[in-house]
Amino acid sequence: MEYYHSPDSIKDALSMAREFDGNFIYFAGGTDVQIYRKQKLEKNEHIIDLKSIQDLNSISMKDEVLSLGAMTPLDDIIKSKEIQNYFPLLMEAAKSVATPVIRKTATIGGNLLVRNRCTFYNQSQEWRNGVGSCLRDVGDICQVTGGNNDCYSRNVSDTAAALIALNAEITLINSNEMTQKPLKDIYLPCGIKFHDLDNKNILTQIHVPFRPKKWWYKKLRVRKTLDFTSLTIAATVDNDDMARICLNGVSMAPILIEESLDTLTIESLIKQARKNCKTVDNDLMPLKYRREMINVFLEEWWEYEHHK
Amino acid sequence: MTGAIGKPTPYIDAVQKVTGQAMYADDYKFPNMVYVSCLRSTESHAKIKSLELKKAEASPGVIAIVTGKDIPVPFGVLSISRDETAMAIEKVRYQGEIVAAVAAETIEAAEAGVKLINVEYEPLTEFFTPQDSLKTCTPDEQIHAHTKDHKNIHKTAELRFNEPEKELETAKHKQTGEFKFAGVTHGFTEPHSAVAMWNGDETLTIISATQVPHYLQKNLSKVLGLPLHKIQVKKPVLGGGFGGKSDPFPHEMIVSFLSKKIKRPVKCTFSREEVFITHHGRHPTEINMSLSCDAGGKITALDADIIIDGGAYGSFGVVTSYYNGVLLQGPYEINKFGFRTRRTYTNKHQCGAMRGHGAVNPRYAVETLLDMMAHNMKMDPCDLREKNFLSEHSSTVGEFRITSNGIRDCIAAVRKKSDWDSRYGKLPYGHGLGVACGFFISGSALPILWNRYPQTVVHAKLDFDGRIVMFSGASEIGQGSDTLLVQIAAEELGIPMDFVQVEVADTKTTPVDLGSYSSRVTFMVGNAAKTAASNIRNEMVKAISKEKDTTAESLIFRNGRIFTKDKSLDITWEEGVEMAMAGRGAFVESGFYISPKLGGNFKGAGAGLSPSYSFGAFISEVEVNPKTGETNVIKVWGAHDCGKALNPLAVEGQIEGSIHMGLGQTMSEEMRYKNGQQLNANFFDYRIPSSLDTPDMDVTIIESNDPEGPYGAKEAGEGPIHPVLPSIGNAVFDAVGVRMMELPITPDKVLKKIKENV
Amino acid sequence: MEKVTLTVNGFTQSVLVESHETILDTLRNRLNLTGTKKCCDEGTCGSCTILMDGKPVLGCLTPTLRCVGKEILTIEGISSGESLHLVQKHLVKSLGLQCGFCTPGVVMTAIPFLEENPHASRNEIKESLSGNLCRCTGYKKIIDAVENAAEEMRS
Repeated sequence: MEYYHSPDSIKDALSMAREFDGNFIYFAGGTDVQIYRKQKLEKNEHIIDLKSIQDLNSISMKDEVLSLGAMTPLDDIIKSKEIQNYFPLLMEAAKSVATPVIRKTATIGGNLLVRNRCTFYNQSQEWRNGVGSCLRDVGDICQVTGGNNDCYSRNVSDTAAALIALNAEITLINSNEMTQKPLKDIYLPCGIKFHDLDNKNILTQIHVPFRPKKWWYKKLRVRKTLDFTSLTIAATVDNDDMARICLNGVSMAPILIEESLDTLTIESLIKQARKNCKTVDNDLMPLKYRREMINVFLEEWWEYEHHK
Repeated sequence: MTGAIGKPTPYIDAVQKVTGQAMYADDYKFPNMVYVSCLRSTESHAKIKSLELKKAEASPGVIAIVTGKDIPVPFGVLSISRDETAMAIEKVRYQGEIVAAVAAETIEAAEAGVKLINVEYEPLTEFFTPQDSLKTCTPDEQIHAHTKDHKNIHKTAELRFNEPEKELETAKHKQTGEFKFAGVTHGFTEPHSAVAMWNGDETLTIISATQVPHYLQKNLSKVLGLPLHKIQVKKPVLGGGFGGKSDPFPHEMIVSFLSKKIKRPVKCTFSREEVFITHHGRHPTEINMSLSCDAGGKITALDADIIIDGGAYGSFGVVTSYYNGVLLQGPYEINKFGFRTRRTYTNKHQCGAMRGHGAVNPRYAVETLLDMMAHNMKMDPCDLREKNFLSEHSSTVGEFRITSNGIRDCIAAVRKKSDWDSRYGKLPYGHGLGVACGFFISGSALPILWNRYPQTVVHAKLDFDGRIVMFSGASEIGQGSDTLLVQIAAEELGIPMDFVQVEVADTKTTPVDLGSYSSRVTFMVGNAAKTAASNIRNEMVKAISKEKDTTAESLIFRNGRIFTKDKSLDITWEEGVEMAMAGRGAFVESGFYISPKLGGNFKGAGAGLSPSYSFGAFISEVEVNPKTGETNVIKVWGAHDCGKALNPLAVEGQIEGSIHMGLGQTMSEEMRYKNGQQLNANFFDYRIPSSLDTPDMDVTIIESNDPEGPYGAKEAGEGPIHPVLPSIGNAVFDAVGVRMMELPITPDKVLKKIKENV
Repeated sequence: MEKVTLTVNGFTQSVLVESHETILDTLRNRLNLTGTKKCCDEGTCGSCTILMDGKPVLGCLTPTLRCVGKEILTIEGISSGESLHLVQKHLVKSLGLQCGFCTPGVVMTAIPFLEENPHASRNEIKESLSGNLCRCTGYKKIIDAVENAAEEMRS
């Protein structure tokens, strides 16, 4: 059986979470999770829909810090004058997600926690029955690597790449306390458990503390809409020439490279990126090409940074 | 022409469609209806060792379960390859093949029942590539028992005229290429759906999303053992076909059988994934082609060796095999010409007919070789083509009769509009233009099942209310055939279109039409409708001229009035109707179309014969990012000779839709498989171009006025797709100097070629 | 099954639904509003677009229970009893449809878009429809129609 709940406060949501003891999922916009439910990849009985919690939908600027409620639709982010003016990188990233109509439902919090993807996992149950084994589903052999230990499902959050490059922090609330931590720290290098938030917490706010001197964003995909990323790179440089380059779509977690432009070379940047990205053949775009594009994109950013 | 013909005409069903009132197959619901869900094979090639239904039968809401043995009669759209049954019997031949079907009170109950069926398989050797299928295997390994020499070759089609291979051996100017094309699918938006009802008078009614009600009727009759006259096939509003709904399908057999068995209405609607599994799309194709020219650029010979990967069953494959070759006989005059196509069975989704049937991939090969030739001979690619066009009222080497031919006007139009002469070869690196031409049949001159009947009959009925009803079996699938029937009647009778209504695609009430395939409807149904309506007019003329004592010739039908030139007689349409019906009442007049006897007397001479051919020339402009290999098609100029645009809006719509679909196959669409399992059976990963991916389009309609087409018309639905693909490929060459011999032209392939080229 | 109260096209009624059901299935199967089309059922094609409190959402991804207390507007509610909406009128006039299966979704996407962006450029219109898959038209005549509708709405 399946049950739908729509609490209108965080407190109620958390008490439901306690009551259902792990046998539930949160819905933010739900645009991604719905498909997991249809494909029977998500079997928990209870849905806790956070949509009705009003104070999670907000965009505000205070002391130069941008705060976003986690349930803010991506479309609102794209249309916010403040974000357009001061955080165009975030706007670009949000605009590159899904389609215009989906972005009216899909939220920033939901996109940050969008589930990792793999060609052999994101399929219908009937399809998966045909394959028979997947480390993340049933069985003990990975269809991608043939291995039986690690799942390499890719993190595909475009906004995560942008917000990590923007040094964003997040606020979590559980029944006892409110904690704040850097966004980049929540992601884990694992295709199955891809973040460390346990579900007794709710992601409530995203804070973007600084406005970079320069920014750059590029997403590799086949069509100019809808497609999940095959490689997203978001890069910022702050007033002290500190570069933050975040790659996503090519590993289990977003990969951040942080280094001063004084010491960074393109060769070392590429080397670090290629070393840290555990890119495997789990996307329909060919593996070799995706790896190649890591170099090409980084070179393009490098050129942009040095010749403009 | 004075009336409705030739005017941009919105579709008569458009208001229903924009308001959500149009009824598609899945929108039909009947009292006491049951729902079907299908159990599909998880194996690609395996014996069914056991099939355990007990648990499922006991599942709440389950009413009946059927398996392959219940419906064992094979069927298929072509009588020469009826190799498929409603469900797998004894063995499965592809992953996703239907093994059992569960009928239940609700769709959820049916799905729950499916999950309770246990099947045990015993794997057989799987064949996933045509190369594997070309090899000899053991009888046990054969996908179908009927194939020859213990190979999984379904069909070999070969024709040769005037020893092209000899010419090619010694030719000075020769280009050869090995081409590879991924399979692509139709991607129509409405999933297959059918609902069958067993009626109290022991007859069957099926409402199905089909392009071919007539062939469905015939196949249902065979499979169910039911006389033809007891089967009514009704096509509701149809959400796109493109060839993907032009076969009889297993689910249509299943719901019909079940409704007869349990005496209740039975519905089956596919999920999007099931639509992909059902496929019947364009064959993955490998082509090895050679082309030669004389020093002046005149084509001397063409030879092609082609392998098409048919998947598990036959479908239209025999026709596809021929079309891959014979449709290369135009638009250029080629006197030494030959091809061999081999269609293999493999353990994958079956392939069949898709827009531009059979000719799209080899067209890419020819047009690419011509571009290579032009480059090599330092000739302009448009000039080279112009030297070789077939003339009007000529004949091809394989005895295709060419009537009207507007190809020269087509190429002149796109050449001018794209500013080709001052831009081709002169654009900066990364930016290019490419040209290609094409031609296509305007209706197959031969029916699929041999018979002595016309290919279509249309009845026009006149009644006391002044309304004309056009009865036609023609299947409106979005191309505008219903509107065409109305336009033609309005034109012939000089009445406003709102006096005309249609009754269509119902095998009980409408005369036979063979279906919406092979671009036959405008030409054949158009001619029949014109005759039917003009026969109504003749009857009216007879009655009016007798009553009013005028000569028959002096009567003019226009603007809803009937009058003589000097206006000594000037009556309303309604008055004329009353005179015509006096003493006899409502009456029906008919028109029909039979293709003239065409073609040669050799084996295979019938393939590709058509009463007329359409022609076209397209130019594409692209931008290629040499660092990433990403290609952006900026603009496509398309000129298509449709004879006469009966509805210019519809013709433009067909050309624009062809550009979209051609672009998809060229750039992003591909049926991807691993071990027989499709990796992208959904619209996330099967990448149909979006509005943002579709280029600007500039469409030119060329009217060559065909002598036998209705008002001069020929087809426009399929011909325009052929030049799209190679024009893009050739533009990529102009942009970055690399030849794309494999479709789709994905960035990784472009980049690889660019790197090899340095 | 749960009994819920839904307001669809201005009419409020009670209906029994499964708690996991999407509004697309509720509309089609329980309320017999079949104008909203099921094409992909996984958020990729836009055919099932409806309005929830005036905002476009995809019916196949929206839980029915999320629609309780909201105003749902479907294609059937756009022009019932009235003349066609300008977007519909121009889709008809410009042949911005062929088979018509994607059309309800196109209408339900374009109407709120033009309300929000009455001065949208052609490119913005093109972008706004980038989640509506059409296999027939090549989009050109759809974009023409929406552009013409915008122009007439402004005048």
